[in-house]
Amino acid sequence: MKRTSRYVALLLLAVCALVVAACGSSDDDKGATTASGGGSGDKVKISFLTHWAPETVRSFERITAAYEARHPDVDVEIRAVPFADLLTTLRSQAGGDNGPTMASIYDLWLPELVRDGVLSRAPEANAAEVQREWPANLAGAASVDGATYGYPNEVDLYALNYNKALFREAGISAPPRTWDELIADAKKLTKKDGDRITQQGFGLISSWAAGTVHPFTSLLYSNGGELIADGRAALDSPQAGETFDLVDQLANKEKVSSAQMSTADANTTGPYLENFVSGKTAMIIMANWWESALRAGMRDRFSDVGTAPIPVGPSGDAPHSVSYSWLTVVNGKADEAEQAAAWEFLAYLNSPESGEAGHSGMAGLLQSMGILPSRTSDLEAYRGDLDREFLKAYVEELPNAKPFPIVLGGQEFTESLQRNLEALQAGQMSAGDAQERSQADAESVLESAAG
Amino acid sequence: MRIARQNWWTAGFLAPSVGLIGVFVLIPIVLTVWLSLHRWSTATPFGDAEWVGLRNFDALFSSELVGRDFRQALRNTFVYAGLSIALLIPLSILFGVIVHRAAVRGTTFLRTVLFATYCVPMIAVAIVWSKLYSPTEGPINQALGWFGISPQPWLSDTGTALISLVFLNVWQQLGYFTVLVVAGLTQIPPSVYEAAALDGARNVKLLFKITLPLLRRTLLFCVVIALINAIQVFEPVATITQGGPVGATNVLTYHIRQVGIERSQGGLASAMAVTLLLALMVVVTLVFALMRKGDDR
Repeated sequence: MKRTSRYVALLLLAVCALVVAACGSSDDDKGATTASGGGSGDKVKISFLTHWAPETVRSFERITAAYEARHPDVDVEIRAVPFADLLTTLRSQAGGDNGPTMASIYDLWLPELVRDGVLSRAPEANAAEVQREWPANLAGAASVDGATYGYPNEVDLYALNYNKALFREAGISAPPRTWDELIADAKKLTKKDGDRITQQGFGLISSWAAGTVHPFTSLLYSNGGELIADGRAALDSPQAGETFDLVDQLANKEKVSSAQMSTADANTTGPYLENFVSGKTAMIIMANWWESALRAGMRDRFSDVGTAPIPVGPSGDAPHSVSYSWLTVVNGKADEAEQAAAWEFLAYLNSPESGEAGHSGMAGLLQSMGILPSRTSDLEAYRGDLDREFLKAYVEELPNAKPFPIVLGGQEFTESLQRNLEALQAGQMSAGDAQERSQADAESVLESAAG
Repeated sequence: MRIARQNWWTAGFLAPSVGLIGVFVLIPIVLTVWLSLHRWSTATPFGDAEWVGLRNFDALFSSELVGRDFRQALRNTFVYAGLSIALLIPLSILFGVIVHRAAVRGTTFLRTVLFATYCVPMIAVAIVWSKLYSPTEGPINQALGWFGISPQPWLSDTGTALISLVFLNVWQQLGYFTVLVVAGLTQIPPSVYEAAALDGARNVKLLFKITLPLLRRTLLFCVVIALINAIQVFEPVATITQGGPVGATNVLTYHIRQVGIERSQGGLASAMAVTLLLALMVVVTLVFALMRKGDDR
């Protein structure tokens, strides 16, 4: 009896140990399982993580289906998450058994993902193709310390979008070219019911880091300023001070911008978009990629949307939008067979082979959203389409655009600046305090990231 | 000999549950505490963690950006929890009493409506409420307009954003706490009410002298659960406000995710989680101590 009871107890303990062992299986185990699966003639399963909208994902599925038909040994899965969840999904799943094999990422995230070993270095052939087929600045944005980590896919920049119908109604014949004109026009375009703004002259986006910081940066660049210069925060410059003052004037002194009308949600939509679409926001600085959202929301009234260069500040010489790019990367923690299949698929996706009329499949997807493609042959193939009224001003400003600084801690830097700008817009801080705090926070973030 | 054999059996039967609790609860807690003393990127193996002692905790209480953001998130979390409890408990008592009194007409309908909200996933609630709260197109502001009340900024203003999320939470959780209160009310013997009625006690007096004192333990449970639920708030913040505007809705769970996963600062995020755990333990202990003090009286 004594022996039997011991055996039963030992058996139960063994079951527990098995549960623990199963939960704690190592990366080696994972690699062995996947490799054997791949080696036994099973399909290699690769997945693509993106934040694209369902209609774009459906178009993408047609490309992956065509690829799978050509490569029966490869199965491509598309995973779409809201923009706000993209980085967290990538970071939290990259090392797991079921993590995405490929992902579309914002170039600002690249240095930290490389530092943490999340990304796979492009094989020589792919790296050579990127260096050869893309403009040097974009190929550079997909590289860290000379090594290429992905295929650049989209390039985005900002311009002033304005509602031509509201301009006509206010008797304004042309979009503002300077900050003085911007303020004067915004005052004419603002309607109020008592103290409450019912139509805002200018929309200052909030609750979205890039949506808040990129338009500010475009204004700063167009005033001769910089965010980061020679590796250190440069928000203490007089040009930056004038840009903080401009935000203060628009939001608080002239009250031509309503904080309530320009918030964004996790999908980078929300009131800021709704109010522009419904004609309650006269001007806003936004990126080219929101064309598809405007078209869908405004339908026949989309022809009311005008695009103009960023208004130039008192210390600036010309409009200089901020620009940024996206790239498609491969998970460095996926097994070798998956990585190889992923790089092969990306080469196909970004080549004319996957598209029509000389452009790549990726460029087709990007153009369906109003996004500028980046491969030289794609820009050539789409030359005619890029001349359409909405995009023309963006394309014309591309040579003058300046990239958002790509540094370690870039995301935290952006979020800290966003917080201070929102506080300024909400009237919780003076322009001087916002500038001082932004500089101090930026210094702290950059120092911490470097250390 | 018999006792030794019993001990083996006891250990054997306890092993699965204790083992699972150890693996899924105790080890993660110990690991989090260990990580809070390190500089560690969440995208790298634990072995890459670099010992920094209490430097992460020091940063949380510094005047720099990290400290300011953390303290604001901690403050927002406890304001959110406090307001949620302050609204949920009285309302659940009110609805619990109404539902419990079968004599009141429409209790079945009320019960169904109350329970239905609890069945809806929080993510769906958040999406629907974000549309309801829309400053210009939202039905709530349109309804207020019928009564001549000007549109409210709700989620777009630093002064109203957090309380707007509290309303959403209360709407969703009220049914659950009403069930708990009804369960507590059924445990109060009718004879106690009869005796009090014979002594001349009526509605309000019955509520304060009989119902609430005898519901004390149920209410204690409600407060603790509501507190824990509120401190775990995440979906509405992640879905609707992303912590804004100006950090007004940045609660700790969202902030920890942002720091730990988005920024990959796992050590710092662990220090935040440990601090939250300690703060929660202190608050729950205080709640229990207060209730015990009441019992002693």
